[in-house]
Amino acid sequence: MKILLMGHPNVGKSVFFNRLTGAKVMESNYPGTTVDFMKGWMRLEGEDVELIDVPGAFSLEPKDRAEEVAVEMLEKNRDSVVVCVLDASKVERGLYLALEIIERGYPVVVALNMWDVAEDKNIKIEVEKLERILGVPVVPTTAISGEGFKELVSKIKEAAPVKIEKIIESASGVNVATSAGEGGGESAAVCG
Amino acid sequence: MEKKLSEMEFDEEGTIKEIEETLRKQVAGMGIREGKNIRMATKQPIKGPIVVEVDKSFTSLGLGVAEKIVVEV
Repeated sequence: MKILLMGHPNVGKSVFFNRLTGAKVMESNYPGTTVDFMKGWMRLEGEDVELIDVPGAFSLEPKDRAEEVAVEMLEKNRDSVVVCVLDASKVERGLYLALEIIERGYPVVVALNMWDVAEDKNIKIEVEKLERILGVPVVPTTAISGEGFKELVSKIKEAAPVKIEKIIESASGVNVATSAGEGGGESAAVCG
Repeated sequence: MEKKLSEMEFDEEGTIKEIEETLRKQVAGMGIREGKNIRMATKQPIKGPIVVEVDKSFTSLGLGVAEKIVVEV
């Protein structure tokens, strides 16, 4: 079994990687730091498993080299569990990618990272409801402080593939995120 | 009234009406999809990129991309 860390650029995948493996790959506070992938090992219930830090991708339709690498990694590792790291303060966007990965039949665990940032912005996410809709484990995390990691690791083994039709069925007409404050921070770019 | 996203004024809000087929998948991952509310957050001079706000998060788009998106304002 392998574990792939996937998510948008600049959501904290590399911080996850460092925490889980004890490695020290480069982290910085701007998008696109990881262009190539990183490999490491972590202990999961007494077993060594391979962990791969995949470059950030907005979707599985590659537009640049980093995204091409991301899609390649996903396709080459059919037997892996995907930990989909989302920015909890921009959850809608992140879920688009999470659904794309689920749709391809991978077992997924969703990490709602930057939970502290979302709280600061007054964004409330109903985790249990989201979990019920998606049918995959959803764990709030704050990677820089390590909050939620124990739970996340314990849920990796629970991950199982979910049919997208089931999610559509259980999602009809529900809203899980409410926001009261102003959002901030630019984080995506397309040029053309 | 319909206009191109690139023609929106600063701080103007609208609903995304149409996205050119070739572009649709490219911008979907950034939360830009038909039916979404969108606000012009920054406009740069001399054909520079624009910054839009969708769902409380900001996305910058090249002007060429913005020209292919139709917004109802």
